[in-house]
Amino acid sequence: MDIKTLGKLTKWMETTDLEEITWKGDGEKISLRINNSPQQGQMLPGSSLVAVSSPSIGIFRFAPAGKSNLIKEGSPVKKGQELGVVEVGKDHKPVLAPENGSVRIMSVEEGKTVEYGQPLFFIEPR
Amino acid sequence: MSLFNKVLIANRGEIAVRVMRTLREMDIKSVAVYSEADRSSMHVREADEAVCIGPGPSRESYLNMQAVLTAAKLTGAEAVHPGYGFLSENAEFSRACAKAGIVFIGPSAESIEQLGHKAMARKIAVKGGVPVTPGTKGCVEKAAWAKEAAAVGYPIMIKAASGGGGKGIRIVRDAEQLKHEAEMASSEALAAFGNGEVYFEKFIDCPRHVEVQFARDSHGNAVAFPERDCSVQRRHQKLIEESPSPAVDKALRARLAEAAIKLAHTAGYVGVGTVEFLMDKDCNFYFMEVNTRLQVEHPVTEYITRTDLVKEQVLIAAGEKISISPARALQFEGHSIEHRINAEDFSRNFAPTVGRVEEWMVPGGPGVRLDTHIYQGYQLPIYYDSMLAKLIIWAPDRKQAIARSKRALGEFRVSGVSTTVDVHKLVLDHPDFASGNVDTGFMARMLEPRVPAEPAAAK
Repeated sequence: MDIKTLGKLTKWMETTDLEEITWKGDGEKISLRINNSPQQGQMLPGSSLVAVSSPSIGIFRFAPAGKSNLIKEGSPVKKGQELGVVEVGKDHKPVLAPENGSVRIMSVEEGKTVEYGQPLFFIEPR
Repeated sequence: MSLFNKVLIANRGEIAVRVMRTLREMDIKSVAVYSEADRSSMHVREADEAVCIGPGPSRESYLNMQAVLTAAKLTGAEAVHPGYGFLSENAEFSRACAKAGIVFIGPSAESIEQLGHKAMARKIAVKGGVPVTPGTKGCVEKAAWAKEAAAVGYPIMIKAASGGGGKGIRIVRDAEQLKHEAEMASSEALAAFGNGEVYFEKFIDCPRHVEVQFARDSHGNAVAFPERDCSVQRRHQKLIEESPSPAVDKALRARLAEAAIKLAHTAGYVGVGTVEFLMDKDCNFYFMEVNTRLQVEHPVTEYITRTDLVKEQVLIAAGEKISISPARALQFEGHSIEHRINAEDFSRNFAPTVGRVEEWMVPGGPGVRLDTHIYQGYQLPIYYDSMLAKLIIWAPDRKQAIARSKRALGEFRVSGVSTTVDVHKLVLDHPDFASGNVDTGFMARMLEPRVPAEPAAAK
């Protein structure tokens, strides 16, 4: 499958509620998956802060068991850094920093119940 | 076991709102779960608590078992009501609930599995002495297709073992078409359900779709309600349902009820369910399938029998007894018709429409029940089904019910989105509907009067 067809397929997928399609044929197998994580890195209106949203419903933990958490208000963070995890069943969904910057507000506490899309941190980008 | 304090509704739309109404009357708190696209949905507003469980696409939210179960645990819900669609007929979910110590308001995983597999359900029907259409004794291997089809006798239907909603069904009128059609049916079924097994049944020309609501509790008590007639369908999707059926008399009703009760006992079913039958012109009825959930059209039964089926579901799930006797369940008064009002453009071959509901003025008055989640200003999300509302009518007899339906449909004022209100008016004005002379091919004939009618296909 050429890039042009792939591009068309991806565009078309975005208009549907399909999340994943797999195409098999001519010895090829191609899977396309649309990313449905909550929109990260959205600027708050009237503010320079960026919200970090929960990737799932579940229980928030700053660090997986056995590891100590070093994140505090004012802590510098790097894009992609794990700020915590959300426990849903046996899964741990990582909460990642969307930008380089520093943590300005922490709106979540250890062990609290969070919803999908709920803002957990606000980061001041650098 | 006492009743629940809090129940989570793993659904959206009108059915979530409808379930919450009964819970409130039973003094049980309700928890809504919702997707990001449903933040301003009615069920979120009506619930005592609401939790966002994922993004718009169903698979990441309403079909996400782990998210739903986590929501139940975190909110302290003791039971989950699945509504219809989504996880309602998912055995794995029923099992996961049990494992998590949460009551699934519906039958056991085993019942869902047995009755959801069409060939297995058929075996149970045969065992219970419920009449079935002549057909193969289960799934047919490719090598045996020709022999088995000839034994059933043409015309035949090819059905997918894991099928539902009319998907994967093909009609074959002679041996020449068989190989091609069976191959198509098998590959369609494999793609849609992950199971390419097929079986054959005799095709019944111009059948009615008649179904019986039943309930059975964990103490072994079973009841069956008067039949519903759902023959007005378009491409196997029901449009209008009514109860009682204009084609069923008292003696036949008793036989239908008896069949449903036998089936419930044989399957060891605990919960509320529906058995669907095909009925030919001579009123012979044949087992089609069992729906192991509350159905969209349950209100017509509630209306004529003055019962609350959601309440019975909750009682049964809590280990209580059904609140009415078998004789009482069959008692009814008057006639009820349900109209499914969808956001579809009738002039563009029923294409679903999206948009904002700019105007929403709904019918009311005597004998009118409207189950809906729509309000003025509501933006229809693109992710879910197109049903806007169910208009349910009651009147002392069928003739008056039709007159009342016409009156109520005339009161509907909707703008911003296209609806199927006008299609319902066309059906009500049709002489065949007025005389009760409809079968499952009625809609196809009505919509394309100039084209030779497509043979009435069984569901």
